[in-house]
Amino acid sequence: MNTAAAPWKQFLCRACGFIYDEAKGDPDSGIAPGTRFDDIPDDWACPLCGVVKADFEPYEPAVAVSCGQAAAAPSRDAGIVIVGAGIAGWSAAEALRALDPAVPITLVSACAGDRYHKPELSIALGRGLVPQTLVRETAAQAAARLGLRLLTDTFIVGLSPALHRLRTTRGTLRYTRLVLAQGARPALPAALPPGLCRRVNDLAGWSALQRALSGASRRVAIVGAGMVGCELAEDFARAGHAVTLIDVQAQPLAALLPPLAAHRLRVSLEAQGVRFAGSTQVAGVVVTAGGGKRITTAAGSTIDVDEIVAATGLVTDGRIARAAGLAFERGIVVDARTLQTSAADVYALGDCISLDGAPCRFIEPVARQAGVIAHAALGRPHAAYEHRHPVIRLKTQALSVVLHGQPCADGEWRVTDERPERLAMQQWRNGEVVATLEAGSPPQRVAA
Amino acid sequence: MNPADASALAFDPSRSDAQVIAQVTAVADGALADAAFRIDHEGHYPLDIMASLGEAGAFAAHLDRNGARFGLAIDAMRAISRRCGSTGFLAWCHDVCGLYMEQSGNPALGGDVLDAHASARTFGGTALSNPMKALAGIEKMLLRATRVPGGYRVSGALPWVSHIARGQYCGAIAGVYRDDGSLSHEVMFLLRFTDDVALRPCPAFSGMEGTSTWGVRLDGHFVGEDALIADPARPFLARIRAAFVLLQAGMAIGVAQGSIDSMLEVEPVLGHVNRYLDDRPDALQAEFDELGARVAKLSLTPYDGSKDFLLDVLDVRTQGAELALRASQSALLHQGARGYLMNSAPQRRIREAHFIAIVTPAIKHLRWEMARLSADEVPA
Repeated sequence: MNTAAAPWKQFLCRACGFIYDEAKGDPDSGIAPGTRFDDIPDDWACPLCGVVKADFEPYEPAVAVSCGQAAAAPSRDAGIVIVGAGIAGWSAAEALRALDPAVPITLVSACAGDRYHKPELSIALGRGLVPQTLVRETAAQAAARLGLRLLTDTFIVGLSPALHRLRTTRGTLRYTRLVLAQGARPALPAALPPGLCRRVNDLAGWSALQRALSGASRRVAIVGAGMVGCELAEDFARAGHAVTLIDVQAQPLAALLPPLAAHRLRVSLEAQGVRFAGSTQVAGVVVTAGGGKRITTAAGSTIDVDEIVAATGLVTDGRIARAAGLAFERGIVVDARTLQTSAADVYALGDCISLDGAPCRFIEPVARQAGVIAHAALGRPHAAYEHRHPVIRLKTQALSVVLHGQPCADGEWRVTDERPERLAMQQWRNGEVVATLEAGSPPQRVAA
Repeated sequence: MNPADASALAFDPSRSDAQVIAQVTAVADGALADAAFRIDHEGHYPLDIMASLGEAGAFAAHLDRNGARFGLAIDAMRAISRRCGSTGFLAWCHDVCGLYMEQSGNPALGGDVLDAHASARTFGGTALSNPMKALAGIEKMLLRATRVPGGYRVSGALPWVSHIARGQYCGAIAGVYRDDGSLSHEVMFLLRFTDDVALRPCPAFSGMEGTSTWGVRLDGHFVGEDALIADPARPFLARIRAAFVLLQAGMAIGVAQGSIDSMLEVEPVLGHVNRYLDDRPDALQAEFDELGARVAKLSLTPYDGSKDFLLDVLDVRTQGAELALRASQSALLHQGARGYLMNSAPQRRIREAHFIAIVTPAIKHLRWEMARLSADEVPA
């Protein structure tokens, strides 16, 4: 065989990274240039670290991968750092840039950071949408338009408020003001293994589910019949999938709705083809021989499905806030008027905060929160933030459910109108109406 | 040595933190500070000073038998590293080796054997750089073991292992292979440097030459059950991992503190121009204090097995390396030409700080691991 015909190969020392190049040999050890690796004596050792020939492996140079963030060059200039590229983070960036065209802004995102409208995820499958159509602006485009430095796929790992430093998996950032908008993450009960249950809390999670469900009718179990669970159940059923909606309560959305309204919701979901499994506690999940998933309930029954979606609520990760000494109570505690955290120059908004001890995870207040924070961070005068409990509108299409006010656990619900096409109720507490509810046929198809 | 002598030389747990630190600091500021240049330039391996530090209690406090006083062990390592980062690294090697021996629960590695180690009458280090990276998926395991009656036969080579010498020992891990060549699990053991283990000189490093670092080659080396630390190794490593990394903080904050010392040393004569520099001593001191406080808090629960705790530990370890890098560079800038002299501490600390930044787990590995731990697990 003509060895010269074969290209020279390289071999990598697994211990120290030395590369043996057949073309160059290892003349210092008496191996002439052009010596094939196979022809090297077995007692030859790495000239750099001394490990034996057997600890070498074939080496093919990897193509260098750029992180693809042109604007990501590290800067020692402190500026405003925003953590999170969801609606809250981008809203803060927009509000800051609108007020000040020059202030340096760095946006740090654990995900790709592309801009999309999160509530749309609840109705996207039934409309046949795909991830590309949900993205309204890529992170790179938004960063270029707003003139900010973008760090994607970057996790924050530590915060030192006294030093004005934020540590990330891509290095430590200095800041003059910090805006925390990192959101909340799905809270998975122990019975739902994260490797077997999908979550629809961000575009990446939805996209993975969309891929898994595409091309055929699938059996899908949704665990948790809160707002997101109910919305997804109807949406998936509209998309042609066989949906089982599971909840520990006897009716869907039981934490929010009085039984009369919850019953209407259940009837409406069932009319859409959703099977509601109420009063059902999931005990465990296993993979079946066919590759599907089998849910076992506390009562001992089983439900076989192709996909499981956990819609069991959200929780704010408190590790970094607590380690940094920030007040934390079910979320990062902020001043209800200024949205400043317990640390100087650190603000927070969106799903990660708690106001008066409770999180408020709705879209509506986010833009106003961003405006208040932008003014405060830039030292501009502005009226204080006033928290109003947002109107709750369920994004189900067969039954419109709209809730005003803040229903409480010990209030009394009274019916004000009850017809087949419309149910109206009021909740009374201490002689006052604290919430009103309307459920009925939608006056029109609600746009996304 | 008879047992009475051994107990007389063992660490006395009734000594206060202040007493231990005072004695360790006396050795560090005396004999060690005097030897730092020789250690750095001649590669002098200061076993005599290590013995004095051991006698002072530098390597015993973190052990369960002495009350698991991790904060004290880290503070001792800080005092040592402040004078000599190379010896600070020896202190870490020695500390974790003692930790392996005790946590193994193997009676053959406890008792007087552990007492002798903890008081530095015998010496041993750690060869876990490759296995730690192997188990994190960064590189492949270099040592291979096969089961034989009464223990294992281990073969393979490790490129650089520190704080070892003929007659010494270190903690090591090998992949255990079945007869059919498939990997079964990993075994952790105390590798004793008997005559059949080949020690090969390493190429010269730019610093840390006084750490007695060798290439190690094993060819069918027998490891008996009396030397087993953990079999299988993975659950053991998961348990000690945070403690292993947390102890390294002592090296980082010590080198940072030594750097701040060097800045303050020239403040009377150079302060009028040094005030134009970034990273002034007061700013670095504030960072040092903040980091030290977080390390001290984590030191109270070194075996907390939660993911959050591990992230907190990896974070302080990373921050320590970053602080050591910046402080050592700033110290040289503060000292100017005098810091650039071959016999000056600032130029030596530049190399020590870079070692802290690249020794396993290196900054890049720490960030890689923190990113992995931070990501949500999702269905395939």
